Amino acid sequence: MDSKLHLLMVLVPGLPLAAAVLTALFGPRQLKAASHWPVILALAGSFLASLALLGEVKQRSAETGGQGGYEHVLALWTWVDLPEALRLDPANAKLSGGSALRDFRIDVTLRADPLTSTMLSMVTFISTLVAIFAAGYMKGERGYWRFFTYIALFVFSMTMLVSVSNFALLFVFWEAVGVCSYLLIGFWYPKPDAAAAGMKAFLVNRVGDFGFALALFLIWTTYGTLDFHDRATAASFSGEAAAPSAESTGDSPSDRATGLMGVVSPARIKANAFWGGGVGLAICLLLMLGACGKSAQFPLHVWLPDAMEGPTPVSALIHAATMVTAGVYMVTRCTPLFSASPEAQATVAVVGGATALLAGLIALTQHDLKRVLAYSTVSQLGYMFLGLGTGSLLGIVAGMFHLFTHAFFKALLFLGSGSVMHAMGHVIDMRRFSGLRHLMPITHVTFMIGCLALAGVPPLSGFWSKDAIVASLHEQAHHWQETSADGKTSPAKHASEESATIPKANAPTLLSAAALARLYQALYYLALVVAFMTAFYTFRAFYLTFYGPERVPAEAGSHAHESPWSMCGPLAILAVLAAGIGGYLEWTHGFAHFVSLAPSLAGGPVLGTEKPGEFHLTVAATSTLVALGGILLASYLYLGSKREVQWLSSKANLDELSSWMDVERVARWRNKPWIAGIHANAKTVGLGWLTLMLGNLLLFAALLLTAPMALGHYVSPYRLSYRKFYWDEIYMATVVWPLQTLGLLLAWIDRWIVDGAVNLCGRLPTQLGSLMRSLQMGLVPFYGLAMLLGTLILIAAKLLWAGS
Amino acid sequence: MSQLLLVTIFLPLAGAVAMAGLAPLGREAVRWTALVVAIATLALAGTVVNSFPAEGASAFASSEIAWIGPASGTATASSGLPDVRFSVGLDGLGVWLFGLSALLLLTSVLVSWDAIQDRPALFYGMLLLLESGCLGVFAARDLLLFYIFFEFTLIPLFFLIGIWGSEDRRYAAIKFFLFTLAGSVLTFLGLLAIVLWDAHHTGAGLRFSIEGLSQGLAAHPLPESWQVWIFLALFAGFAIKVPLFPLHTWLPLAHVQAPTAGSVFLAGVLLKIGTYGFLRFNIPWLPSATATFMPWMLLLSVVGIVYGALIALAQRDMKRLIAYSSVSHLGFCMLGLFAINRLGIQGGTLQMINHGLSTGGLFAIVGMLYERYHTREISQLGGLARRLPWLSLFMLIFTFSSIGLPGLNGFPGEFMILIGMFQRGFVETAGAWRLGLQAIAVVAVSGVVLGAWYMLWLVRSVFFGPLKEPHGDDHGGHAAGHNGDHADHHAHSDGHAHGGDHDHGHGHGEAPLGAGPPDLRWREFAALVPLVIFVVWIGLQPEYFLRRMQSTLNPVADAMTRPIEQRWGESSPAVAGSTADKLGSR
Repeated sequence: MDSKLHLLMVLVPGLPLAAAVLTALFGPRQLKAASHWPVILALAGSFLASLALLGEVKQRSAETGGQGGYEHVLALWTWVDLPEALRLDPANAKLSGGSALRDFRIDVTLRADPLTSTMLSMVTFISTLVAIFAAGYMKGERGYWRFFTYIALFVFSMTMLVSVSNFALLFVFWEAVGVCSYLLIGFWYPKPDAAAAGMKAFLVNRVGDFGFALALFLIWTTYGTLDFHDRATAASFSGEAAAPSAESTGDSPSDRATGLMGVVSPARIKANAFWGGGVGLAICLLLMLGACGKSAQFPLHVWLPDAMEGPTPVSALIHAATMVTAGVYMVTRCTPLFSASPEAQATVAVVGGATALLAGLIALTQHDLKRVLAYSTVSQLGYMFLGLGTGSLLGIVAGMFHLFTHAFFKALLFLGSGSVMHAMGHVIDMRRFSGLRHLMPITHVTFMIGCLALAGVPPLSGFWSKDAIVASLHEQAHHWQETSADGKTSPAKHASEESATIPKANAPTLLSAAALARLYQALYYLALVVAFMTAFYTFRAFYLTFYGPERVPAEAGSHAHESPWSMCGPLAILAVLAAGIGGYLEWTHGFAHFVSLAPSLAGGPVLGTEKPGEFHLTVAATSTLVALGGILLASYLYLGSKREVQWLSSKANLDELSSWMDVERVARWRNKPWIAGIHANAKTVGLGWLTLMLGNLLLFAALLLTAPMALGHYVSPYRLSYRKFYWDEIYMATVVWPLQTLGLLLAWIDRWIVDGAVNLCGRLPTQLGSLMRSLQMGLVPFYGLAMLLGTLILIAAKLLWAGS
Repeated sequence: MSQLLLVTIFLPLAGAVAMAGLAPLGREAVRWTALVVAIATLALAGTVVNSFPAEGASAFASSEIAWIGPASGTATASSGLPDVRFSVGLDGLGVWLFGLSALLLLTSVLVSWDAIQDRPALFYGMLLLLESGCLGVFAARDLLLFYIFFEFTLIPLFFLIGIWGSEDRRYAAIKFFLFTLAGSVLTFLGLLAIVLWDAHHTGAGLRFSIEGLSQGLAAHPLPESWQVWIFLALFAGFAIKVPLFPLHTWLPLAHVQAPTAGSVFLAGVLLKIGTYGFLRFNIPWLPSATATFMPWMLLLSVVGIVYGALIALAQRDMKRLIAYSSVSHLGFCMLGLFAINRLGIQGGTLQMINHGLSTGGLFAIVGMLYERYHTREISQLGGLARRLPWLSLFMLIFTFSSIGLPGLNGFPGEFMILIGMFQRGFVETAGAWRLGLQAIAVVAVSGVVLGAWYMLWLVRSVFFGPLKEPHGDDHGGHAAGHNGDHADHHAHSDGHAHGGDHDHGHGHGEAPLGAGPPDLRWREFAALVPLVIFVVWIGLQPEYFLRRMQSTLNPVADAMTRPIEQRWGESSPAVAGSTADKLGSR
């Protein structure tokens, strides 16, 4: 029985790995232009396996489900095993679940639970379609086999990322998907932009990983384990019993007689043994920093738009549907940790909200179709974090639901833009083409479905998931309002008395319940604003691309027609799902019920509310109206003639204002004949310095007056949005250049001061020698004098010492 | 087996002697002989290392020859002579370093194949001498023998740099020699003081057996004031070897000037002698001084990590960049060792091997580039991934290994070091330094970000972007990479921005590559592939390597629990008691 499950668990990541190896070995010589076949077949097989796994998990979780959720762990091999590596403070060992003496043991483990299997089926499905699409899109590229090797490697890493059951291995594959992303963004490495974008993506992600690593180390030093799941017994795996001494009775495991609690395991959730307070908050914030890197959340969002330099199928697969959702997955997996500290949850919500707003604003003005979609992805990921940040089961499931539906319609939109790009000869600037709806009818229709889904128009997928998030924000504001009205009910209701020394979970300590209520209310309105902007920029891009007069750039050449079946097929399949899957899952309640059986979500008490999948009619009506409003505005501005666009950008640019006040014009006054005449006359009477000074003063004043204008030119709303709020420039000026300058400075110091000191020490003997040599002058009286002096000094020293 | 170890150590020496005779036969004979000796050494060392028991050993494949003093096994006091033996054997600390030395010899010989034209017999002789010295250092079980091998490694490397180095070789060689010699003289004095103390207490003659001295010092620990001075004396030699900030300035110079083989060996093996010395002598023999100096050692390590990384960021010479990255990486090793817990020490030791593999590989690749383009300037090269795809692949692998990417070897080492350091700062230390150690732990992690920055910048500048080659005989420049019809909005930036005066593009898109230096040759593959095998193996299954070290390294860490507790703890009875229990139960 288990063997079938195990086989499936291994097959899902195993097939892509096998395909990667196969393509890497035989791609360059034997397979060449057929390199996509092993990869597509393996991914399809992997998808079927993950569907089977999904069914299996569904059946088993329904049987065993209810309390504690369902998980199944399969250990493959031991990666590191270092016995007795850590001795926890015995006082904390109880909370940390298990004995105080911990082995540093990391097994390569796979897990099956509702969360994992949902992610697996989504990832493998999208990647199969993207691989098929790419077979058409990348046809004839140099390094065709290389592309498919990377893709297979990525799918392996991504499936492992959601399958592993240990923080260390999660980190391993977290970085591994980052490398695949790096390699694929830089796939066209001779392009300087692509090479730079890959490096930027990697480095920004490393900053996030820095936080993730810190969180991981803190988890190790507080919980004493990195496993998600419980271990059967502490003694059985180290081979020797842990410290059979007197004080070991003090660290007998809390709930179960044997065993070591995992970090987010059913046993721990049942015992509610989570660190709150400063440590708990620090862990959560650092985890969130990691999630910000991978999921491109503010302030680490800057890499994702640049990542669009990679081939478009990569953008669809990695930078829209799968890898960037790893942060959402990770935070969901760590829900119990976040539940222990409401401040952390509020932070998640605020980060998500800020990102959603910021990216939405930027997306309003971009001209590059892929960048619009990229910022839209960032914005939608922010939306997911908004859901997670509520901390209620409703919100978290809604976040995961949005992740799921978003994968379909965003992959659809990216592949659609790829189809456009393919036809336009790799031109993606929307100013250079328009009115493509007759040229590319299939792309047009499927793209429209994707836009409607993204905008959140009922009854398409995006509507249901987005609405669930908005509703959960509404609920959460309500929840905290009630809590603050309740007043003094003991917040630490789950704290057990014996662990009173340890800051305990579930009670906000920094923020009052009323403040949280206001916060979530504000975020609810923000979510509506973002929904409006989403609908607007989506349809702006749609109209600019497919409507208006038919224009095609010169680069398109003979390509300007509908794409081949290998590209349109995936588009059609995705369009059907983007339209239907959300509604289907919503009405059957399948998604919410299934996912909430994951161990991290199934432990009722750690969560605010216990009712997944609620439908709010008022909220739904509001968000529908908002979305339609956005679409209407976009239609008004961009459908048909685009005069409004010109008008908007010309007004917002403030070009006239800044141009009539610019410094050059003031400087040109100097050459005006009458001014020059005055100056010449003044010079004849010796007052040339005065006119010169006055002139300079005037110039300076003009400069002072113009500076705000020039600044205004750069900070006008349109400009701010168009220049992405200058985040790249800000990071350049505050991080990159200072560090590079520091490096240069240190290099100079190293060369002249540190090494200079060394050289000085090296020369000292020679210098001393030459000093000595000068004393050897061969004069006997001098030697006598020196002897006398020396003797006197010795005697004096002797006397002084004796005296003291 | 015991004879095998001796044979392995002396085989390169014999080869070196043979070089003298082969010199008249010309370069071909010399280098093939060197290759045969290198392969044989690797095979022998591989046999020894492979049969090292999985549960570890304290003196595997040991053999002992009486040298000075009484014949082995007899009482020592009677003769009055110092008891020095030619005693070698491997334990969990030495075994992988021993294997690494043999592995890098093969790489060194192969990368010198064409590069060395001048007096090849002398060159390979020196290289083989160096190999014998390194093998001996890691296998020596006698203090004097260790020191002899330790000093002995200086001489061949001095000549390697001084004769076959680049333009500034004399200065670099002399600086390297004097710097390390100055330190190691003090080290010798420190080691002698230990021997004298031991003799004083046992009442027997002077004995130099490392094992005997360990027992002697366990029975009669050195007084605290002695420990501090001896620690500093040993520090002088070992810290310069490592090199620990601020004693590192000889390293970039020596690396830049050394021939490729010298750089590979220097980075791969010789630096490890310093960390090896700390772990072999300072920590176990001078526990209370180690406890006293621990925070300062950690501070120097973390400064080295960040300082080295930032300077690497400012370098324009590939070899210099990698040299400074070594300063940074060795900072990680030292950080692990001086976190002084099981995780830190094992991670630090593993990282010694890892650094040898990845930096050895990087220097080898820079050497191969130098052979092709006669420059090490980063700004002179660009887009070589098209010209030299295989070389670029290896470069990418070693880069990823060097920046600690999971799946390759750098990751487990760095991960264990940092997690050990976190334990040190957040769990295991109380008192004044607690906050400081926490800060050190956090700053050390930032070194990982900086490390990725300079290495990826190097890769991007040299291997990605439009093709750029020196000599003006270049081709392309408008290498837009993908097909010509992809002239999207980036086309304007291709080539023009980066072309400079070397850029005579042949038009857009898939410009013909034209003639240029060839990609990797078979011997170059042979030099790199063995390293890559271990890079991947350690990454996927570090457990295999760690298991063989545990029985040697864990006691070192465990024995330090109490001294550190005494020095820095707030006398927590629970922890102190438990340590006693644990030690008692063993």
